[in-house]
Amino acid sequence: MERRDVLDRGPWYENKWWLIVLIVAFFAAPLVFGEFYLTVLCEALVMSMLALSFNLLFGFMGQLSFGQAAFFGLGGYGVAMLMTKTHVNFWLSIAAGVLVAAVVGLIVGFFCVRLRGIYFAILTLAFGQLVFFIIFKWHNFTGGDDGIQGVFPPPYLKSPVSYYYFILLVFLGSTYLLRRIVRSPFGQIVKGMRENTIRTEFLGIHIAKYQLIAFVIAAALAGLAGAIWVPFYRSVAPSYLTWIKSGEPVMAAILGGPSLFLGPVLGMFIMTFFHAWVLGFTVYWPVVMGALILVIIFFLPGGILGFMQEKLKERETRKQRGDSDEFAEDAGDIKSIR
Amino acid sequence: MSLLKTQEISKAFGKLLAVNRVTLDIRQGDIHAIIGPNGAGKSTYFNLVTGYHQATSGRVLFKERDITRLPAYRRCVQGITRSFQITSIYPKLTVYESVLMALVCHRGVSLNFLSPATGFFREEVWRILEEVGLAEQAHAQGDSISHGDKKRLELAITLGTEPELLLLDEPTCGMSPEETESTMSLVRKLCKDRKITILFTEHDMAVVFGIATRLSVLHQGRLIADGTPAQVRASEEVQKVYLGGAA
Repeated sequence: MERRDVLDRGPWYENKWWLIVLIVAFFAAPLVFGEFYLTVLCEALVMSMLALSFNLLFGFMGQLSFGQAAFFGLGGYGVAMLMTKTHVNFWLSIAAGVLVAAVVGLIVGFFCVRLRGIYFAILTLAFGQLVFFIIFKWHNFTGGDDGIQGVFPPPYLKSPVSYYYFILLVFLGSTYLLRRIVRSPFGQIVKGMRENTIRTEFLGIHIAKYQLIAFVIAAALAGLAGAIWVPFYRSVAPSYLTWIKSGEPVMAAILGGPSLFLGPVLGMFIMTFFHAWVLGFTVYWPVVMGALILVIIFFLPGGILGFMQEKLKERETRKQRGDSDEFAEDAGDIKSIR
Repeated sequence: MSLLKTQEISKAFGKLLAVNRVTLDIRQGDIHAIIGPNGAGKSTYFNLVTGYHQATSGRVLFKERDITRLPAYRRCVQGITRSFQITSIYPKLTVYESVLMALVCHRGVSLNFLSPATGFFREEVWRILEEVGLAEQAHAQGDSISHGDKKRLELAITLGTEPELLLLDEPTCGMSPEETESTMSLVRKLCKDRKITILFTEHDMAVVFGIATRLSVLHQGRLIADGTPAQVRASEEVQKVYLGGAA
């Protein structure tokens, strides 16, 4: 019977103390950071949501989407246009931004999920660029290359600190929700499609349908990130939708580790803060970033978080082996054996 | 009673007729072997039954319903699933998670987005693992277990979908004699306890004649014999093209 208990982890706070420390640190951040680094932190949080949405498709489903920024931009444009042109309420605009991204995700995804591997990547890239060019060229409707300025949040969210807390709460809420999703039966099937598409199909799963659902969830989350970012920045520009922007979550996932849920978040934080710091003394940021990615790919193929987890596991096994040698009779009581 | 019928079913790849007007009845409760030399069309026939390929002509009936145009996943929902000649498992998932995957796919919770998957079907997963003898390896990763165990794991995964008709493509391929023996007795047990009808291909004649209750022989895409193992063994045409002196 005891082997069945392996599935039951201890109470969540036993394994997750570091998470509580981290969340408390985030809530305390405005006390420590000045306005500049608080802005960087906001950007890191928002871009982390984009990276998480990308990684639902990449790390969990095994499909590389190279057009994720299109949904980020659509969420942003949705909010910006509704708030400046029709003066719709802030909260409703954000909901509408998410909806726009999800609906476009449904249409784009419908075509993309029929493809695998490089073909999927290319088609998402093509659709992403298509959306970018529509927004870029449709000057009368979207403002073209001028973008849209003057997107102001409601008065109670005007100060950077209050908007930071708003972003933090949205980030925590959506991350928690996504975490629930990847651990749910649906999330299990998403992983199954990555591991072995044919096998999963022969378990009675309509592959295209389930990939489409995941695609829409990812699009909605990317749209939410864009929707909350634009009022913070007070403006939106077509550059939010370019393939260069789509590349950022790709790099963040590789940097942090795509096989771990929080890997892309770590990657995005490193990238955003590193970027802010490097810009202080050189404009050749892409060179620095390129070198960093090279180092990761060659020396830490599992990403930074993947590497850390591997080392932790090694240490734990070593420790357990040591313990059981010394206290052989107590080995059965060690609760942490996994 | 017939569970699956193929009527004049054919599959052409360009000019090659891989399966040529095969009419066959798979009866409920049988362990039905399909044999034939390499290139006889066994795998293609399997693919037509499971929906991996669409038939060029002819019909496939499952429990009297026409499933000729149904895609593979819909046939699986109806009770047909398969194993593959090249073992098809989830290499990076544990044995337990792999079986859980099948149950999650099959038992109508696949669109549950919020409850932890590990909370579902614990009893059922352990029952299947014990049934196939993999309970000890429940938490080993799929790609870390032995070849024979991988074949068992694939069998365990297919059991998760509660099939009525299970197709096994070379189930003992690459196994040691002991592994072959235990796999075959497992298949026999599944057929008896779970009332699963088995359709399998196999190149090892000892296995075929040891377990099959019914036997069909394909040669160059055509069905040349169908009957009990004794009848097939006695058939002159089969002797000529296939069994040679071995029988």
